[in-house]
Amino acid sequence: MNADRDFLKGNEALAYGALRTGLNAYYGYPITPSSEIPETLAAEFGRGTYPEFRAFVQAASELEAINMTIGTAATGAKAMTATSGPGFSLKQEGISYAAAMELPLLIVDVNRSGPGLGNLGPEQSDYFQATKGGGHGGYRNIVLAPDSVPEMALFPSLGFELAFRYRMPVILLADAFLGQLKEDLTFPEVPAREFDTSWAVTGARGDHRHVLSSLHLELPDQSRHVEHLRSKYEEIVGAEQRSEEIATADAEVVIVAYGICARLARAAVRSLRDRSVRVGLLRPITLAPFPQDRLNALIDGGVRNLLVVELNSGQMVEDVRLVAEGRARVESLERVGGLLPSSGEVEAAAEDLTSSGDLRSALEAMVQ
Amino acid sequence: MIGAQELYETKLGPLPTLTGKPTHYCAGCEHGTLTRLIASALEDLGARERTVLVSSVGCSVLAHEYLNVDAVQAPHGRAPAVMAGIKRVRPDLLVFSIQGDGDAASIGLLELLYAANRGEPITIFLVNNAIYGMTGGQMAPTTPEGMVTTTTPFGRDLHQTGPPLDASKLVASLEGPAYVKRVFLPVTPTPSPEFFNARGALEGARAVRHAFEVQQKGGFAFVEFVSTCSVNWKLSVLESKRYAAKVLAPLFPAGLYRDRFGVEAR
Amino acid sequence: MPESLVVGLPKSRVVVDAERCKGCDLCVVVCPQRNLHLSERFNRMGYHPVEFRYHGGRGDCTACGLCYWVCPDFAITEVSRLRP
Repeated sequence: MNADRDFLKGNEALAYGALRTGLNAYYGYPITPSSEIPETLAAEFGRGTYPEFRAFVQAASELEAINMTIGTAATGAKAMTATSGPGFSLKQEGISYAAAMELPLLIVDVNRSGPGLGNLGPEQSDYFQATKGGGHGGYRNIVLAPDSVPEMALFPSLGFELAFRYRMPVILLADAFLGQLKEDLTFPEVPAREFDTSWAVTGARGDHRHVLSSLHLELPDQSRHVEHLRSKYEEIVGAEQRSEEIATADAEVVIVAYGICARLARAAVRSLRDRSVRVGLLRPITLAPFPQDRLNALIDGGVRNLLVVELNSGQMVEDVRLVAEGRARVESLERVGGLLPSSGEVEAAAEDLTSSGDLRSALEAMVQ
Repeated sequence: MIGAQELYETKLGPLPTLTGKPTHYCAGCEHGTLTRLIASALEDLGARERTVLVSSVGCSVLAHEYLNVDAVQAPHGRAPAVMAGIKRVRPDLLVFSIQGDGDAASIGLLELLYAANRGEPITIFLVNNAIYGMTGGQMAPTTPEGMVTTTTPFGRDLHQTGPPLDASKLVASLEGPAYVKRVFLPVTPTPSPEFFNARGALEGARAVRHAFEVQQKGGFAFVEFVSTCSVNWKLSVLESKRYAAKVLAPLFPAGLYRDRFGVEAR
Repeated sequence: MPESLVVGLPKSRVVVDAERCKGCDLCVVVCPQRNLHLSERFNRMGYHPVEFRYHGGRGDCTACGLCYWVCPDFAITEVSRLRP
C-alpha cells in the first residue's frame, strides 16, 4: 500500500501511519479489537515494502511484547506495540520501566469494554490507566486521543516526535469503534525525522558508555530522578496541550469529549447551533497533558456549564472538575459496556444545561 | 637501572572491560567469578565496544556497575525479551544477560523459553545458586528438596512445591537453541580437605567464550552456572562449596546439552 | 640483560589488591603450592585480606593463574612471570 489515498479501518490506517513515519519494529500479542494492527504490519513486513521496518514479532505474551519494544527503543530505534484493555494492563509493568529509563516508544490501546474480559465494544475506561501513569511508581505518559481514521494514521508520527523529544512512552488511546471504523483518508506527507539518540545503547565508545537503568539505590539519587521525571512532565504540560474547539466562542455550554464521543458531540453541536442553541465542543487531543489551559480560558471567558461525554463510569470528568474548581457546573453523560449514546442524547443532555433547558426543567418540576 | 616491573611479563592482568568498582557480592560468590570470565572473553573477542549487557533483577541487578559495557536494565525476568528487541534491530551488537534462577526459571520462564524457541541470537548466563539471594534467602525454583529457606522453614517439601526445575534441560528440550551447557562453577573439594580444584572456573571461561561465539554465528546460547550462596545457605564459604558439590552437582549435572555449531569440538 | 640482575628474583609474581579482598579463601584453597594465606591484619572493609608468598607451603609459585580465575573480587589483579 503506497497510494496516498485509501479507504481503511482505523487500525489499518494506524499501522500504515506508523510505517510511513519510519517504524523500525513492532512487537505485539493478538487481541480483539486491535488485531488488524499486527495483521497489517505482518503483511507489509513480509512484502518488505518499507525498508526501515526491520522487525516484526508476534510475541508470546503482552509482557514479552512490551519488553521487546523496550529493547528496540533502547537502541534509539522506533518501536511500537499495540493492544486492547486486558493487554494494556499487562503492559503496565514495562511502561513503568520505560518511563523510568526514559525510553521513547509508542503504545497503542484500542480500548474495549472492561473490567476483566468485558466485551469487544468500545469504551474509554482505560483513561485512568493511560493518563495517570498506569504502572507502579510515580510517572506520567503523554496520551494522544485520535477521533477519526485520518488521525489514527497521523498520530503515530506525532507520537514518535513527542516520544523522542521528551524521551518517554507515548500512548495512543483509541477505542474499539475507531479501530474498526472505515473511513476515507489521505495520508499526509510525513517528513523523515532524525531524532537525538546519543543516549542509546549501541556499544561503548572508549571511556563513554551508555547505561539505561531504572535502579537508583541511593535514596537522594532516586529522589532526584523522580523529580526530574516530574519536571519533565511539567514542561510538557506547559508546551504540549492539544485540543480542538468547535463553536466555543459564544457558547453557554461546552461539551468536553474525545475520541468517538467527540464525533457524537460534533453532530450534537451542529444540530443545536442550527436551532441557535449556544453549545460548543472542547475536544482534548492530548488527554495527558490535559488541555487545562483552554478549558480554563473558556471558564474564565464565562462558560458556566460543562458536559463531559465519555464511555466509562466517570473518569475524564474528574480532570474537568479539577480544572473547573467549582467555577462551572460539570455534568456527565456516560455509557459503558460497549454502548454509545446517540447524538440526540448528547444534544438533549447539552440543551438541558442551557438557561432555556434549566427553565424547562424548572417548569416540568412545577407541573409534577 | 632496570626496574623489577620490566623484568616481569604479565600473564594475567587488570581488564579494561571491568570498571574496577568493588562488587556488592558476598565473599566467595560465583557472580564475581563469572563477571571476570565475561570481561576476559569480551576482551579476547575484541567486543567491548559492540556489546550490550542486559542486567536482570536479583543479585545480578548491578552487573552493569562492574562490566564496562553498554547496558540496559530489564524488568524482573524479562531480559531475554529486551535482548531480542535489541538484537532484532541491531544484529551487529553482541547482546547478553546475567540472570539468576528466580529471574530466568521462575518469573521469566516464558521469556527465556520463547527467546530460546525462536533461536534469538543472544547469550544468556544463568547463575543457579538454588535460592533467592537478593531478597534474602527465599525458595527458588531450583531449591533442592529439604533445603531450609525463609519460605520453606521446615525444608522444601516436594509434595507442596513440586520438584526443582531444571532450566538447562527445559531449554535443551526446544529446537531453537544452538548451544546449551551447564557448568559447575564453584571450586570443588578434593580428597585432601585442604585443597579444592578450580576446574569450574576454567570450564566456565571456555563456556562463556563459546556462548559468545555461538551468538556471533547467529545462534541462541545458554549457559547455566551451578553456583553457591553461602550467606543464604547459612554456611561458611568453603562449606557452601562442599554442599554444592554434594547436593547440587548430582541434581544439576554439568554437561553439554546442545552444540549445533560444534564450537566445543574445535 | 646481565644475568646477575635476574639471579635471586622470584620466577613469578602474584599481585593482590588487599583492599578489594573479602577473605573468602577461594584462592587459598585452590593454590597448588599453598602460596596464598589470609593475613592477620584487617583491610578497610574489615576482612583479613589474602597475602602472597613466592615460597609457599609446597613450593614456588608457578604463575598458574588459578587464584586469578577463582577470585570473585578481582583482588588478584596480576599474575606475571619473570621474562626468560
